[in-house]
Amino acid sequence: MTDHRLLTLDEVDRDEALLETIAVLHGETRAGFLRKAALGSAAMLATLAAPASAAAAIDHSDVDILRFALRFERLQASFYTEAESMGTVGRMAARKQQWARTLGAHERAHVRIVKKILGDRAGPRPFFDFQGVTETDDGFTRTAVAMEDLTVALLTGITPRMDDPALVAALFGLLTVEARHAAWARSIVRTTPAANAFDEPRSLDGVRALVGDTNFIASRPRVRRRRRRPRMTG
Amino acid sequence: MREEAGVSEERSSDRATTRSTRGQALRAAIAGGGLVGAGALAGAWARPDTTAGQGSRAQDVRILNFLLVLEELQAAFYAAALRRAGLSGELLHFARTVEPQERDHAALVRRLLGGDARPAPRFDVEQATAAPERFQAAAIELEETVAAAYIGQGASLTRGAMRDAARIVAVEARHAAWIRDIAGADPAPRAADSARSADDVMSALRREGYLR
Repeated sequence: MTDHRLLTLDEVDRDEALLETIAVLHGETRAGFLRKAALGSAAMLATLAAPASAAAAIDHSDVDILRFALRFERLQASFYTEAESMGTVGRMAARKQQWARTLGAHERAHVRIVKKILGDRAGPRPFFDFQGVTETDDGFTRTAVAMEDLTVALLTGITPRMDDPALVAALFGLLTVEARHAAWARSIVRTTPAANAFDEPRSLDGVRALVGDTNFIASRPRVRRRRRRPRMTG
Repeated sequence: MREEAGVSEERSSDRATTRSTRGQALRAAIAGGGLVGAGALAGAWARPDTTAGQGSRAQDVRILNFLLVLEELQAAFYAAALRRAGLSGELLHFARTVEPQERDHAALVRRLLGGDARPAPRFDVEQATAAPERFQAAAIELEETVAAAYIGQGASLTRGAMRDAARIVAVEARHAAWIRDIAGADPAPRAADSARSADDVMSALRREGYLR
């Protein structure tokens, strides 16, 4: 604390693993504030209080990141399952049905995989309200295309953040499947399946904000009989 | 329809179980440092450190040189296909899109390696690009192999290189799905993709005649 030249977290945390951890544990504002705060300052110590070791914090962040991934996989699985149970998928042409059913089965398998990894830390299943998009072929397809590309960006971002090498390897094997889904979805809507040489990552907060904008995650279970009426939530 | 969904879910769950076992195998492989094989490319490569998993520049160099071979092979393969395979329609569109992407991948991996990049080995892509059907089958095999190789190596890289590996492997998997779709095969045949070891990949490429 008496050091004349205190390092900031930015200078130490070159790959931003710590900042990410702090953001997950304490929120973006805190992380943003700490980015500029000098190491050893009171605020810094308060935030990193209990286990001061970076390794401990990163282990914790594996769980938090996985919990987010699980939430997202659950969102996708429910989306496909709902479109199937409403008959939207059943009304599609054969090739498209195979696509929708395969993706649904895979997303449900991903939920089981991530749930199994997390064990009792998996957290409760959120409630979803797909705002009517699972009811029409067009709404379903557009949403699926966007969601699969978003999942690729999410996994491209989180996979290299994981600390456990076995988890990294497992997530690489899920990332490639999501990329296959995205390519397949784009082919269904006759868009180039691989538009760029690189898939760019999105941050957890970026994905969180996009998902938030859809209002697909509801605070309460949906009342099913009101499904087809105009939605007046607010 | 219901039954069909049930069947595919069952199948996926079987895959999930397989993957979990593979996860344990991977853990052991990483701990034992066995992910990057010895003797790849005519004995030019050394065995990885036994302390693998942490990532180090030396290990990155070994892994990235392996991935560089794969990217350069793909770039050569697609360039030759555009020259001589007589492609048309969807296959031509695919090859024209993918060829510059593979060159970009090779360039990025080469940049990561800097002065540690090994010169590209000699590839033989003649047979694989002799006709459209040959090209299609070879493209499926190559894209699948490369994606599996990245899955096998990714976890052993340092974080910076791992980030780039993720950006690349997603596109390799898109290529694999795309060419499978063109060929009328299931673009996403598994709920989770498997890794292949570097030794396995290199011997497959030799067996196919791509490398001497």
